[in-house]
Amino acid sequence: MSLHIAGAGWVTPLGRGVDGVWNRLSRGDEASAQPISGEGDNTYSGFLVPTKALKDLPPHPRLRRVSAISRFAVAAGLDAIAQAKTIAPNVDMERVALVFAASNGGVVYIKRFYHGIVASGAQSASPLLFPETVFNAPASHLAAILGINGASYTVVGDGAVGILAIKMAGDLLESESIDFCLVVSAEEADWILCDAYRKWRLLKTHPPIETFCDPPRGTILSEGAGALLLARDGKVKIDLIDAGGNFSHQRNAGDIVNRILRNLRDETACIVASANGTFVDLAERAAILREMRRSAVYSPKPALGESVGAGAIWQVIVAARALEEKRLPPMLHASADAGLRCGTGEIGSRAIVLSCGLNQQAAGLRLSM
Amino acid sequence: MARFNALDGTNGVPRVAVVAAGVVSPLGFGLEETFRSLRNAVDCVSPVSRFDVANCRCKTAAQIPDERLLSHRRNGRKNARLHRASHMMITALEEMLRLDAEFKPELTVIGTTSGGMSFGEDYYRALHRHRNLRRAPEWISNYPPQKPVLDALEAFGISTPCRIIANACASGTNAIGHAFECVRSGKYKRVLTGGYDALSELVFVGFDSLQAATPDKCRPFDRDRSGMVLGEGAAVLALEDLESASKRDAQILAEIIGYGISTDNHHLTQPDPSGSGPRRAMQQALLSAGCSPKDVNYINAHGTATPFNDAAEGKAIAELFKRVPVSSTKSMIGHSLGAAGAIEAVACLLALKGQFLPPNINFHNPDPDLDIDIVANKSCEAKIDIVLSNSFGFGGTNASILIRNAGA
Repeated sequence: MSLHIAGAGWVTPLGRGVDGVWNRLSRGDEASAQPISGEGDNTYSGFLVPTKALKDLPPHPRLRRVSAISRFAVAAGLDAIAQAKTIAPNVDMERVALVFAASNGGVVYIKRFYHGIVASGAQSASPLLFPETVFNAPASHLAAILGINGASYTVVGDGAVGILAIKMAGDLLESESIDFCLVVSAEEADWILCDAYRKWRLLKTHPPIETFCDPPRGTILSEGAGALLLARDGKVKIDLIDAGGNFSHQRNAGDIVNRILRNLRDETACIVASANGTFVDLAERAAILREMRRSAVYSPKPALGESVGAGAIWQVIVAARALEEKRLPPMLHASADAGLRCGTGEIGSRAIVLSCGLNQQAAGLRLSM
Repeated sequence: MARFNALDGTNGVPRVAVVAAGVVSPLGFGLEETFRSLRNAVDCVSPVSRFDVANCRCKTAAQIPDERLLSHRRNGRKNARLHRASHMMITALEEMLRLDAEFKPELTVIGTTSGGMSFGEDYYRALHRHRNLRRAPEWISNYPPQKPVLDALEAFGISTPCRIIANACASGTNAIGHAFECVRSGKYKRVLTGGYDALSELVFVGFDSLQAATPDKCRPFDRDRSGMVLGEGAAVLALEDLESASKRDAQILAEIIGYGISTDNHHLTQPDPSGSGPRRAMQQALLSAGCSPKDVNYINAHGTATPFNDAAEGKAIAELFKRVPVSSTKSMIGHSLGAAGAIEAVACLLALKGQFLPPNINFHNPDPDLDIDIVANKSCEAKIDIVLSNSFGFGGTNASILIRNAGA
């Protein structure tokens, strides 16, 4: 069964919409970091979605008091469907499955809900907030707005979850009962996540995100969503997905990333990596140097930040758009000593997306046009 | 894809065998103890001991005792840091592999709702009260929902891609159903599936705040039902292409023969009162199996004992099925959320093996609005070949699977 991208939606700290965000990446723009303060004394930096990016969401009752993650997911999902309808006007929602992917989920409402319990006791817990803390709340809102009443799955994992969601969508499309699978991934940023990732020794307090440095200097969290409407036809094809596997220690990430890249290897392909200023960079760098050292390499994370659960779908959107434009955007803040070909030049008709998560999962895929 | 007909043969479509299973729940550790507890209608609900519930309306849950769970714990510094949910998954997987050590999965599909949530709670409490955050890195790294699954796989040297499905309370059944479809599509020969969830304060208080949890006994489908009690546990099933399993002489515990999934867009937390969502899931499961409602001998209902759920589910069952015995094993073990569908699938396997109907305890007054046959208070012997298991959840997710006795 062949798997293609029929439409895409993109909500990022550089704005909303595939064309707009691509143009900004192509110009070498970088999202502006904003201070994120919270419960503790530390203030962190994060790349946040501008408020105006969501101003034209439909006035649906489901969106009245939802969290940011749900708004991001809905915006990206609607945009992907709208883009697909320009080439396939008869997208029948009865025949669309939904796979929603996230890592941290609705952390803002989770924290607010639990804060009530810690601060004032269980009797003050809000019954309005609790349902929005559930991982599949964004999928539920999006399904209700789009009228999807068949298969809807929420999958969770680390930064690689977007690739795993695409793989799942491919499996769902084996069934003749659906024509499309909408894959949406989203994440929202919050102080508590920044604090946790800092304590986990993965975060730096201020930009830029410098990639492929040894030792790694840390990442900056961001937020937003990405959506792909997958179908059996379309301009960009997903040739091969390697659902990868799991590594038990950060130091072992390189083995699995290397295995994935060897499986996806194509000397003519460019590589859209997940390098984000952490141990991930070292794993990817070693694998690229070993398997495809002459390929052009790009990571969108210095420009857009580490959006965790949304990150892999962002990379796929970049890769698909790069194939259409036959070029990669300029790579920001990459170490000159890495020995990689981080540049803009012309690319061929294939692109590999590598996604190594921060919590033990890695996967990848290859696109062609 | 060719339409499968479970009763007439395969039509060339792979059949999906359950070749092994493992379970830990308040009913017991392992299949044998679970079987005895189901047979004996054990009420596992007790006062909550893990956190303070003084300000909650509900004060009970079905819990797995730590002293027993942690006595199964493997040695080593890393194991000492793992979340309880990881130990549940390890315990369940260990039993499964004891039954079939040769089972080598290509994919793992597991349902959960809240992962290592209590570690998130520990972290937030420590932050809020300016306490020592020395353990923060281990709380944070063991909090994500994929972690207990990866821990269990690592413990037994299994390396497969993992799909962690978080479809609220339907997660476990969705995971099994999706795993079933993966094998039946012919793309995978062996898939490890199941579900897990451990009790957490945030989730407990959440259901209490919605007044979905009861201060009374859990009484599914009873006229006087007033809500759920929570539970916890883990269960795993080894699914394999029947032909492949037969070739290697694997034990066949049962077959999964059908799966249905639907999304009810009525409300984030309440089902459409018409029961249309559950009905579509059950109809799809029947269609996918090529069965008719009369082929079904027992229904393990979602049966949370909330007024809304049981009314919608009971209506859908009554409309689709005529006089099929129904019970909710949540009356005994509470609602274990992401684990529920998996534990209930194991209960169905045991019912098929033992040819009995698991009971719906605390059932005293039939609801005059529900025209269904409840297996009231005691298990009973019965000839059963095909059983249906339902799970429904927040977000309008509905899932049903059909399981057939291996010898049928």
